[in-house]
Amino acid sequence: MNETHKVNILMVDDQPAKLLSYEAILANLDAHLIKARSGREGLELLLKHDVAVVLLDVSMPDINGFEMADIMRQHPRFQKTAILFISAVRMSDLDRIKGYQSGAVDYISVPVVPEVLRAKVSVFVELHRKSRELEDLNRELETRVEQRTRQLQESENLLRERADLLELASEAILVRDLAGALTYWNAGAEALYGWERREVLGNSVHAILETEYPVEATGCESTLIDCGRWDVNLIQKTRDGREVIVASRQVFKKEAGSILEINRDITSQIRAEEALRQTERLAAMGRVAGIIAHEINNPLEAITNAFYLLRNHPSLDDEAHYYAQLGEVELARVGHITKQTLSFYRESQDPVNVPIAEILDDVLELQSRQLLMSSIILDKKYLTGGEIRGFPVELRQVFLNLIGNAVQAMPHGGTLRIRMATRWNEARGSAYLYVSVCDTGTGIRPEHAKHLFEPFFTTKSTKGTGLGLWISKGIIQKYDGAIRFRSIIFRGIHLTSFRVMFPGVSSAIKGLEAAHHSLRDETARVSLGPQ
Amino acid sequence: MDLNNTIILCVDDEELPLTLRKRVLESQGYQVIAACSAADAMRTLNDRTVDLVLTDQLMPDGTGTELTRSIKKKWPDLPVILISGISEIPADAKYADLFISKIEGPAVLFAKISAILSARRCSLG
Repeated sequence: MNETHKVNILMVDDQPAKLLSYEAILANLDAHLIKARSGREGLELLLKHDVAVVLLDVSMPDINGFEMADIMRQHPRFQKTAILFISAVRMSDLDRIKGYQSGAVDYISVPVVPEVLRAKVSVFVELHRKSRELEDLNRELETRVEQRTRQLQESENLLRERADLLELASEAILVRDLAGALTYWNAGAEALYGWERREVLGNSVHAILETEYPVEATGCESTLIDCGRWDVNLIQKTRDGREVIVASRQVFKKEAGSILEINRDITSQIRAEEALRQTERLAAMGRVAGIIAHEINNPLEAITNAFYLLRNHPSLDDEAHYYAQLGEVELARVGHITKQTLSFYRESQDPVNVPIAEILDDVLELQSRQLLMSSIILDKKYLTGGEIRGFPVELRQVFLNLIGNAVQAMPHGGTLRIRMATRWNEARGSAYLYVSVCDTGTGIRPEHAKHLFEPFFTTKSTKGTGLGLWISKGIIQKYDGAIRFRSIIFRGIHLTSFRVMFPGVSSAIKGLEAAHHSLRDETARVSLGPQ
Repeated sequence: MDLNNTIILCVDDEELPLTLRKRVLESQGYQVIAACSAADAMRTLNDRTVDLVLTDQLMPDGTGTELTRSIKKKWPDLPVILISGISEIPADAKYADLFISKIEGPAVLFAKISAILSARRCSLG
């Protein structure tokens, strides 16, 4: 037992010789022996030390042994401190000693027999040690319980914090077992896929999301189980049938037999990258078109001029003149094509009055071959010349897209209906130009409707750039106009119409248009036959 | 209008197209002087008076628009038409009276030239 565990024995006697003899008797008890020459000194020392047993001489001047014991018992700290009275045995003393009900009290008679003193003190010392050990043990136990409780609380807080974090994440976080059944589905997953937790838990995740794996699904799963970890881009479907591309990070937890998965929606990022590439491609195409235009246009002008001179040459006979004229007509066609396809050539850099009727007819002329080949009936009605201020190239682009789409939607024939009129907007108190392009083709599926004007959205797979409607909408918005579409099934026929509205037609013009009405009302319901 | 008294300075670095353009304009009755570079054009203009300049845009010793600016600095009233095979109108084309594409053909060219000349005659009174 080390020094700190040594117990203290307080010996109180007014006679130094007795104190010395007690010291000698108790020397081998392995205890600190504290000596006091009076009850008062004894009490003072008692307050300073944790005393196991007090050896107390009954007959002392000033405060005698019993008086000191009384004082001790009144103090809560010393109520249980063991007291061993040393007294000449008298009946009155014995009665008095028995009076101490609580605490350990004993007496030893004078003359003191050393063995008896040592034995009695040892008992008390041992008792004290044991109770102190018990106390220490209790205290330690309490601290340990407290510590453990605190640790539990902390880890519980941490878990709750982590769970909150999982819910905060914008990524879809899910856990599934080896059979694919979902056991966890965070708020991010609900937001990304549109499926609520209660709908999907317990179900097979990749069946719900129609996950498209880059390689066969079983191969992926075994890679994950072998390597423990797998990073991949997946294509999945949301609840409303929208396709999303996610960067998926999956981890296999062997001990739990579960797979943790974090999916980040990178659809818009990938689309943006594609858009950038496409824009770059378009810009490059523009540059190439410019170069080609220049290289073709220069010799084209020279040849055109040569044919012009040739046709007007006086030495030509009628036949030669006819051939020269043919050549000139065909050259004009080449010129027309380079102008239509390779050129962004504008007459003016300032906006001009653009007659939409001319633009529409121009576009229809370009499409005439396609209309003929697909046996498409053209039904056009212009109730106005539709003049608006702008750039012909841009407006032409809009109608080239709308009419081009309509024609492509009717590979096996149908009716292309075009209407143009000036209408009155009550709310704005102004007139607007209304153009509708309607086809009886394949129609537009409802799930495609809301993506129609997004860049690179196409239903024509490899044939379309997916830019037409997006560009058109941009141009129309530039003119402060609007574009609307509707696709309905009427008597088993898909009717798809795009309506374009351009504001800025003044009321004065509106009056004029009304006068022009009868002149312009050329309902041309023509079937384009062989030319 | 007596076209024989109307002199057009035709500028192009490529000899063949220049000759053909010159002949086409002559067939319409204009007097045409050919210049094979921007510098050549400026020399001619310093020597004599012309009624209109018809210049190509891309030439080795300077663009048509640059030539136009030099001409307009010295002779602000002299009409200049840019004729080009390129599709984008150059940013400084506004110094010229007109920008015309080469593929418009002779008929359009004649119409534009005569419109510009008569507008100029009107303004001169």
